[in-house]
Amino acid sequence: MISSFFASIGEKFLVLSNILGGITYLFYQITVALIPPKFDLDEFWRNLYKMGVKSVPIIILTAFFTGGIMVIQASVFVKKFGATSLVGWGAGYSVFREVGPILLGLMFSGRVGSNNTAELATMVVTEQIDGLKALAIDPFRYLIVPRVLAMIIMLFLLTIIGTVVAIFGAALFGKFIAGVSYAGFWTSFSQNLHLADLIHGLIKAAIFGFIVSLNSCYFGISVKGGAVGVGKAVNNSVVASALGIVIFDYILTYNIT
Amino acid sequence: MSIKFKNVHKSFGNKKVLKGITMQVQKGEILFVIGTSGVGKSVTIKHIIGLLKPTSGSIEVDGKKVEHLKEKQFIPIRKKVAMVFQSSSLFDSLNVLANIALPLEKHKIVPGDKIQDKAMQLLTEVGMEKYASVFPSEIGDGMKKRVAIARALAMQPDYILFDEPTTGLDPVSARRVDKLILRLAKDRGTGTIVVSHDLPSIFGISDKIAMVYQGKIYFEGSREEYQLSKDPIIQQFIKGTSSGPMETPGF
Repeated sequence: MISSFFASIGEKFLVLSNILGGITYLFYQITVALIPPKFDLDEFWRNLYKMGVKSVPIIILTAFFTGGIMVIQASVFVKKFGATSLVGWGAGYSVFREVGPILLGLMFSGRVGSNNTAELATMVVTEQIDGLKALAIDPFRYLIVPRVLAMIIMLFLLTIIGTVVAIFGAALFGKFIAGVSYAGFWTSFSQNLHLADLIHGLIKAAIFGFIVSLNSCYFGISVKGGAVGVGKAVNNSVVASALGIVIFDYILTYNIT
Repeated sequence: MSIKFKNVHKSFGNKKVLKGITMQVQKGEILFVIGTSGVGKSVTIKHIIGLLKPTSGSIEVDGKKVEHLKEKQFIPIRKKVAMVFQSSSLFDSLNVLANIALPLEKHKIVPGDKIQDKAMQLLTEVGMEKYASVFPSEIGDGMKKRVAIARALAMQPDYILFDEPTTGLDPVSARRVDKLILRLAKDRGTGTIVVSHDLPSIFGISDKIAMVYQGKIYFEGSREEYQLSKDPIIQQFIKGTSSGPMETPGF
């Protein structure tokens, strides 16, 4: 009974070590491929469009209502204490630094990361990756590196778009729910927030993009088994990305002031 | 000019699949690697282009040993030896024409403005020119095999490996694929290795047969010699009877 308990812990530790080792090795391979940068430009552009441009509508929708929710939650206290001069600052501060990068990162992981894992995993189980190798095309430079770069760049850019839309949503909901005028919102926003607040969030966005890309590619190419394996890979990828985003958010928030 | 296996062993963990494979195919020759399912035929040919590494033994492609080559060093070998997979392994995200154009473009086999024409010419060669704009998911297995053959030809290879090209096809489509393989081998002079257990294919187009049994080459010779053999295991394989001395994995 006790030995099986420790065996089970040991087994889980080995699985975790294997995953962390695999992701670290993938990171090393990506670094090597980028010095000097050698990857497929056509695939890179295709992924920028597929992963980024096609994500714009869902990011705008998410960001708009996120900004709105921030104000709805704050409106109770704003009305109670008459703190209308703080609405612009409060919404902007939380959207720039935390809610924006985290929510958009999680949305990006759900839409793009999961799709990436499923696509790569399916290519593995249907021998399409072996097919690429057989055609003397390096799957790493053709498939992995362009996707990783596209995800980092696009989550960064989508976070800029999302942040602007979230602030717009906050101002709109602030006007109609909390009764804060646009001028009042803007004054509060512009006088209390600094470029450093925006940069703080954008640094997080780029790092979250890297986390999602690394996880989604690793779980995709290391898939074992058929359809069940693909399902597990997608599940693991989304869970690992969400955990990575939250853990790194804590580390970054703690260390970047 | 040949591909040679010398005493190749391959294990997956504790499971020994290949226990000393020795065989060779010359350029312009069609070698059929035959045997029952799960005996290690596909495993054998995947070693040639480095998709698997042998546990021991050596493999030579035109005199160059390949068993210790690194991934990057396999690129010239893969340009010389093309493979058509059992699953066809066409890229889902690309249409039929783009599947053929991909190796032409990435290896600059033809100038950029000639890629589409060359890809279409290859599709015409396998009778698939009408399906250039459709995606692999929209065509049948037989058609996929033909597209995969056209894609392999795009590499202008000296050798082509076919992994069960007729498995899962109706008899008419299967014989048409056989005819295509024969024509390509004879017209282009490519060395051809076909993994199969499809008797009409084996006796229809092979120059030579290598039968894998219990991890080793049990028989190597011409199809006439194979058909005339009195060996009970060979006779059981030819007749396809369930009772007899032949052991099959999983039974």
